[in-house]
Amino acid sequence: MRALILIAGLTLACTPPKPTALELRGLKLGTPIAKPDFTLTATDGQPFSFRERTAGKVALLFFGYLNCPDVCPVHTANLATVIRGLTGEERQKLMFVFVTTDPERDTLPALRKWLNNFDPAFVGLRGPIEEVNAIQQGILFPASFATEKQPDGSYGIGHGTAVIAFEMDDSARVVYPFGIRQEDWAHDLPKLLARKR
Amino acid sequence: MQWWCSADSGPWTWTWIAYPGVWAFVLTTAWLHRKYARHADTPMGARVAGWCGVVLLWLSLDWPMGPLAAGYLASAHATQFIVVALISPPLILIGARHGLAARIGAGGAVARWLTHPLIAGIAFNIVVMATHVPRVNDALMPMQFGAFAVDVAWFIAGIWFWWPILVPVPHRPRFAIPLQMLYLFLGTLVHTGIAMVMLVHDHPMYGIYELAPRATAMSAITDLKVAGGIMELAGAGVIFGVLTAMFFKWSGGSGAETKATHGV
Repeated sequence: MRALILIAGLTLACTPPKPTALELRGLKLGTPIAKPDFTLTATDGQPFSFRERTAGKVALLFFGYLNCPDVCPVHTANLATVIRGLTGEERQKLMFVFVTTDPERDTLPALRKWLNNFDPAFVGLRGPIEEVNAIQQGILFPASFATEKQPDGSYGIGHGTAVIAFEMDDSARVVYPFGIRQEDWAHDLPKLLARKR
Repeated sequence: MQWWCSADSGPWTWTWIAYPGVWAFVLTTAWLHRKYARHADTPMGARVAGWCGVVLLWLSLDWPMGPLAAGYLASAHATQFIVVALISPPLILIGARHGLAARIGAGGAVARWLTHPLIAGIAFNIVVMATHVPRVNDALMPMQFGAFAVDVAWFIAGIWFWWPILVPVPHRPRFAIPLQMLYLFLGTLVHTGIAMVMLVHDHPMYGIYELAPRATAMSAITDLKVAGGIMELAGAGVIFGVLTAMFFKWSGGSGAETKATHGV
């Protein structure tokens, strides 16, 4: 009997507490990350200052590429589906910014066309890969790299798979790695939009 | 090469893949069907129905339906469920029932207990419920053995469920057609309930299909709704088709069948 109580106690002690309804379901960062200050070219050909243009909004920053066969389209589509379910007011306070890690192949018109498949309000940015990698490393993301070319000339790009969420105070406390579900986005986005720090 | 279709995180391609485990399973089923369908009392039409059941089982488990159902589309998974659990088993039993009845006649009390409608109905619904729990499905489908377990569980549960209706069990009165109709109706309430949940759910229920590269233009949530619709309409179509046939058989005054008669 005592052994049973001991096992039950150990089980309870070892079980991580479930997140409450108020907690975010994304991966929490130990130390908040400051919103980076960079300017790249938007799909309309104009310079886009990330820090200035996303001021006062929740900015979801994602690095990917258009030929990505799995993570980029799925992650973006799931997020777009949930954003469509937000109120108009909530959508006004939210900005999804996609930075290509394959500027060689991802032209600005192609980037715009790809993003329009998900949401015409999504922002697409392009710039030299050295600059894009410096931005990623500045927010503690790994630099992207091209994989070995196949005989047909195709290649992939290794890149981080998380969306980093900068809140209205220009700090990120949570990231959303690939694998996060639509129900998790639907749980977290209204909370991120409601938080004013 | 994989021996059984399982969820693969890579993008869907129309490149053929061999699944020897599927072939072995279908060939074993075909061999068993042939063995029991050779009984002298089995009419040619019943044998043809049985072979149709075997072919449908093969088509629903092998490429391309197998891998699509395992890792890409909830709607393909729902279609596979309908075929493997609700269509193929009764067809195979129609072909093999006389041979099986003769075999069970030589069998023991355990076989008769297992084929009791109450036990069969409960077992079928437990399998259907357990394999549709999102956490269970998401945990099993990425593994070949897990996907194999789900597919085989559906088929065995389907055979089990249809057995009391189609196979006469010696030494036990067959239950009357109205009771058979009630059995079928109650037996499929669980899968109808699961279909309803899929239809009204706000977000994709299964991570496997939500996070898979899209194999079609359907979004993950549309795919879930289509899956719910297939389970609801195709499942109900099969059951209500059988129920309608039973009703006309019963109301047609087939005296020998309307009374609770003894089996073989």
